[in-house]
Amino acid sequence: MITQNFIAKIEGHGELIVDFKNERARLAVHEGERLFEGILVGRTAQEAYWITPRICGVCPVAHNLASLAAIENAYGIEVNETTRLLRLLMKCGQNLQSHILHLFFLALPDYLGVDSGFELEKKNPNVFKNALILKDIADKIIYTVGGRNVHPTTTTMGGFNKIPSKNDLQKLLKFLEKTAKTAKWAAELSRKLEYPALNTDLELVAKKNDKIISNKNETISVKNYKENISEEVKNYSTAKFGKFNNREIMVGALARIALSKNSKKIAKKYGLNFNNPFHNIPAQLIEILKYHNLAVKITKKLLIIEMNSEIIKPSLNPLLEGIGAIEAPRGGLYHEIHLNEKGVITYANIITPTVQNLSSIEKSANDLLCQTKNKTEEERKKLLIMLIRAYDPCLSCSTH
Amino acid sequence: MKNNTPKIAIYDFTDCEGCEVKLISLQEKLLLLAEKIDIVNWRLGQEHFESGPYDITIIEGAPIKQDEIELLKELRENSGILIALGACAALGGIPAIMPEAERYIWYEKIYGAGYKPKGVDAKPLSAYVKIDFSIHGCPIDENEFLRVIEEILAGKKPSYRPYSVCFDCKVKENDCRIINKKPCMGPITQGGCGAICISGGSPCYGCFGIREEANIAALRKIFKNITDKETTEKYFSMFHSRNESFK
Repeated sequence: MITQNFIAKIEGHGELIVDFKNERARLAVHEGERLFEGILVGRTAQEAYWITPRICGVCPVAHNLASLAAIENAYGIEVNETTRLLRLLMKCGQNLQSHILHLFFLALPDYLGVDSGFELEKKNPNVFKNALILKDIADKIIYTVGGRNVHPTTTTMGGFNKIPSKNDLQKLLKFLEKTAKTAKWAAELSRKLEYPALNTDLELVAKKNDKIISNKNETISVKNYKENISEEVKNYSTAKFGKFNNREIMVGALARIALSKNSKKIAKKYGLNFNNPFHNIPAQLIEILKYHNLAVKITKKLLIIEMNSEIIKPSLNPLLEGIGAIEAPRGGLYHEIHLNEKGVITYANIITPTVQNLSSIEKSANDLLCQTKNKTEEERKKLLIMLIRAYDPCLSCSTH
Repeated sequence: MKNNTPKIAIYDFTDCEGCEVKLISLQEKLLLLAEKIDIVNWRLGQEHFESGPYDITIIEGAPIKQDEIELLKELRENSGILIALGACAALGGIPAIMPEAERYIWYEKIYGAGYKPKGVDAKPLSAYVKIDFSIHGCPIDENEFLRVIEEILAGKKPSYRPYSVCFDCKVKENDCRIINKKPCMGPITQGGCGAICISGGSPCYGCFGIREEANIAALRKIFKNITDKETTEKYFSMFHSRNESFK
């Protein structure tokens, strides 16, 4: 008899273990260990950004960009403005694509009264139609710049193998302009859904330039990511559990908004609550509009400037040790790569956003159990699974 | 409930789930397909689950843990047609780069000395059970998926593309990597991918599977003339580290 114990509709294999008597919950990650940090050692610098996207098919562009940044940091390469803008555009596409997949196919069915995202076609055709429009524009952005919507083909150390033509970008801009109202609709949808109540002492952390910032007034340098973000091994999980200076933190869309300049204004407009992790869902809906707007802005800029396809070569005496950090869809992603003189990788370390979120997921799950004493076990279990989905865990990323 | 429609189960073992993301990219085409079939298990897409037997089982990912290996054997027994989806399932792919004998070194380096590993080794599905067809790619091409499933639903035996990536490259008017002295697995690799990696300026590492009647020895000879031994091994082991005919 084939059985199924894994939580449905999350990326990867995880099991929820609840001790209702003591009001404790655990998220056991059951992904097999692929040992990417070992796979990378002995491979070349150029293979790093080919291999690491395969950590996760939901956020491959984020891994590609983080590895490129780490390798370029190691080689002392400063990419040109065209490359910088194109990569930023790819990142917009990535964050849009990942949010849309998570929201419409994994998390939102809970809020819209269906099981599968595809059921929306009959039960809520408007939502379904808009979800496909948004998925399509996210894919188009990544195809135009990255060559493929999953696992990019055009990026390379120091620049791009191939950059899109002005004609390609013009076409993309037309699609972006046509879908602007759908992106607005997504942000508006965030106000129309009802999210479960949960009050936690939530610490939110996001990467900004070369700093990692917490909403509890602590800022560290990206260079010190390894010292400040610790990872704990637990016997029930193949993923490690991360902490920020020994505290549970949440990273991702809600954290990015909380730490942005306009956080108060956005929170007021959309009714966001930075102490309720369920609000990562409206935060992602709001970010769809943000990344869509940003994609329009960058595409317009690329159409004005004279694009330069030059691939920048390594500097003369490079350090050969580099860190690449990026705000991936689910939060801060850190790749560190060391090379020898031949360009062969001698050390690799990767800390993913989900690793950082796992400790917070369990803490919030315990809080949820304490705050839902009047509900049945069945109801509480359902809420716990919705809570886990709200964090948008990527368990493939967490067990790389 | 649909009657007499084939019951299809989609499973994923350890992998990146990028091939499943490609399935979602089919959008409306997937819906049209879904009208002809009954998806009774797809953990990534739905809660609904039926325990089998299944007419067609599609498996993405490499079975790395013992429980995945056991489930794979059980699925073989409970499935009419078993399909490997993507490079990890069909070839072992990227996770299989890690040799079984070196796993313990990396468990200790990555997890620390006291860690009890769950993984055994990353091998393709065919190392444990008979596979009826492989839909290759890292990731798969979603239209290839559609073609294969539609052929099966029409009662045909699906076939592999009878040409290599070179044909796709010609169609795309790409410069030949080998003529330009750049290593390329394209000549021995099944076509159908649209030479998407080479078109983007990346190498071809052969994720679409070795094509029927491929002349592997001839390609090795070409590699000898254009690159060194280490680079050759890196190309031949990116997706095919478990291919016995390469050794």
